[in-house]
Amino acid sequence: MPRRLLLPVTLLAVAVLLGSACTSSPPPPQGGQGGTLQLAYLADMAQADPDVFYDIEGNTVILSVYEGLLKYKPDSTEVIPSLAEKWEVSPDGLTYTFHLRSGVKFHDGTPFDAQAMKTSFQRRLDVGAAPAYMVQPIASMQTPDATTFVVRLKHPVAPFLHYMASSWGPKAISPKALADHAGKDHAQTWLKEHADGTGPFQLTAFERGQRYELTRFDGYWGQKAHVDKVEIRIIPDIGTQRLQLQSGDLDAILHSFPQAELESAKSNPDLQVRDFSSFLNNILYLNTNKKPLSDPALRKTLAGALDRDSLVKEVYGPYATPSSSTYPSGLLDPALAPVAYPPSETTAAAGGGSKLTFAYTADDSGVHRRLAELVQQRLDAAGFSVAIKEVQLPQVFEYVNDLQAAPDMVMQTNTPDGAHPDMWARIEWYSTGGLNYLGYKSPQADKLLDQALETTDQATSDRLYGGAGKIVARDTAIIFVADPRDVMVLRKNLTGVAHVPNYPWALDLAALQKG
Amino acid sequence: MARFALTRSASLVGILLGLSVVVFLLEAVVPADPVRAMVGASATPQIVEAKRHELGLDRPLPAQYAHFLSRAVRGDLSMSLYTRRPVRTDIAAFLPATVELAAAALALAFVLGGVLGLLTARGGGTPLRVGLVASASVPAFLLALLLLIVFYARLRWFPGSGRISPDLNAPTGPTGLLTIDGLLAGRLDVVRDALAHLALPALCLALGPAVALGRTLRSSLQTVLRSDHIRTARAKGLTGREVLLRHGVRPALNAPLTMAGLQVGMLLAGVVVIESVFAWPGIGLYTVRAIASFDFPAIVGVTLVMGAAYVIINALVDVAQVAADPRLRAR
Repeated sequence: MPRRLLLPVTLLAVAVLLGSACTSSPPPPQGGQGGTLQLAYLADMAQADPDVFYDIEGNTVILSVYEGLLKYKPDSTEVIPSLAEKWEVSPDGLTYTFHLRSGVKFHDGTPFDAQAMKTSFQRRLDVGAAPAYMVQPIASMQTPDATTFVVRLKHPVAPFLHYMASSWGPKAISPKALADHAGKDHAQTWLKEHADGTGPFQLTAFERGQRYELTRFDGYWGQKAHVDKVEIRIIPDIGTQRLQLQSGDLDAILHSFPQAELESAKSNPDLQVRDFSSFLNNILYLNTNKKPLSDPALRKTLAGALDRDSLVKEVYGPYATPSSSTYPSGLLDPALAPVAYPPSETTAAAGGGSKLTFAYTADDSGVHRRLAELVQQRLDAAGFSVAIKEVQLPQVFEYVNDLQAAPDMVMQTNTPDGAHPDMWARIEWYSTGGLNYLGYKSPQADKLLDQALETTDQATSDRLYGGAGKIVARDTAIIFVADPRDVMVLRKNLTGVAHVPNYPWALDLAALQKG
Repeated sequence: MARFALTRSASLVGILLGLSVVVFLLEAVVPADPVRAMVGASATPQIVEAKRHELGLDRPLPAQYAHFLSRAVRGDLSMSLYTRRPVRTDIAAFLPATVELAAAALALAFVLGGVLGLLTARGGGTPLRVGLVASASVPAFLLALLLLIVFYARLRWFPGSGRISPDLNAPTGPTGLLTIDGLLAGRLDVVRDALAHLALPALCLALGPAVALGRTLRSSLQTVLRSDHIRTARAKGLTGREVLLRHGVRPALNAPLTMAGLQVGMLLAGVVVIESVFAWPGIGLYTVRAIASFDFPAIVGVTLVMGAAYVIINALVDVAQVAADPRLRAR
């Protein structure tokens, strides 16, 4: 080729390639009649092993592929049958007898029975990751016949049935898959990216950082899924997710839709904004272990100066209510552990010039940042001097190791593992609680929680949980800010929406239909 | 040549050692508990401590560093805290996407920069120059969103995210670069689809470097065009274009090549933002996740790979400069 032609030809080739590329945007794949449901995650779920997975993003995959003994009724805290049709609890609260469903098959065709459930429970214990705490109180397991599974506990555990219904609770994994892929780590290597449960969908692709594909399991024992496939893509930018939802390439955004954009989404004729009750709880932890917030009177002044109720309205609009209890609404009668933070008649001198450091973790909906800024403004106006900083979760987990160096305030939104007060209080304010970030300690509250855990009478146990909550409320060690709703934005043609308050950011994918 | 390779290899080792020390020091000065974040809030203290011990994070930092070095020289970059896989496996999975994107962006930057330089060196190309400079001055994430709004959401010319349409069942090897693998497998549908997915993110990444390259090429061309050999070429009766392409470009390549080496660093930094916006499953996305979870083994791994890439690319630039301008060989 003559050299003088080289540049024009190269440019032409680039133009032709790009031009041909322009036309290749394919139509969304359609399987059978049910079509493909297109969803997105903001982050990779890291792994699909139900005995290790302990995150929120990824719940939709786990709950679609695996089933436990029990589950929750939609829009309720009521525990209902799943793989167990019915169950009995002995009067001493130590023996749980589960009567299992027959005719259930794993995705590989292996029949489900009591022995399979026992093998799955044992594996959770053997793997020993975080969700193992739900099976650690078990003293022994028996399988008198194929459909009876008996669990004997070491001591009464009030929330045990809720452990079984939790999205992170024990799930039935095919014993054949566990044996075939056992390796030296109880099949952990295989189960990171594969799944073999009894749920309405099979995990047919796990492409890390890119996408997961769920395909309807036609051998499912219950109501079969309406859609043929679910395609979940990792799209880490919420702005890109919004564009794809508006363009019809996504069917739903299940969480973190920017709060400021919800009104415009509502006015879009192709979209529906849905909000559901949840156990999400926005809380402000105060560092009671160092000056100045070691002073209870100053903590009360601070709580009043927030003017919390107007703060919640300003930031969340209709999508949250100010917390009425130390427990998320629906877990416990609010009257048993009420909280209120009446706005005090604060003057510009109320805070006495106290310097406070305030850390918060950012969220994609922009709510935390907005809340943090307003908290800073209001406290500054009340005579405090607040410095805010955005941090990552691993930094927050470090605070408890050096409480003198830790910030004075930390803000987070948390959710309990199950719809039981113990599963909230024990992580939030028990002295060794995993989410007790700023090391609040009350031996009295700890004692009440321990008593409640082993109390079989529910009214008594609720009173004990309420008692512990009252102590935390009295100490103003944690300010319970808001009970946010679980907000989702869906395409208008999506029907069959079923949501469980305890499964945040998740819908029952098998119930969803594309119109 | 041997001496060149030797000095560059030595500097590569030095730089990688330096980078790894910096990341380890960072781990020491930034207080965080990635293990607690990894195992979850309800994990018992025993589970947290067992995991910390298993990962060797309960040892003093110098011991951790020594252990890391002893494994790294064998190519073992330890386990990622987040994905719980060897970092080497993760990088092998995520790197090809970034290599493909960066290569496409670089190629586009050369083409756009070359055209810009050549046109403007002779006083023309003002609309192209204004267009490119204006686009390159917009922050990368904003430009990415604008391109998505126009070319994906409005015009539907290009797909909105990812590397490939999932229903295409694209080949998974041997290179991991979908355009190349598609060609090797004779799958033109895959090549077209991969190019469609590449177009917008590559353009976003390419604009900044293209302007830098174009402007450098322009100024060095203008200098070259004033030199004696060009006057001789003109005196021979060659046209302006012939003079420029045959006698002007090659001696003017030195500065743009140096600039290209520097711009690769900018481009790799831009990958983090662009991959997030376009959901491009590359090392940038992996890094964002690693930083958010304080996954230091992953951060160290990515830092080393990116550092090595930068050093190697700049060594290649040196070689290209010598090839373009033989006078450099004598120095």
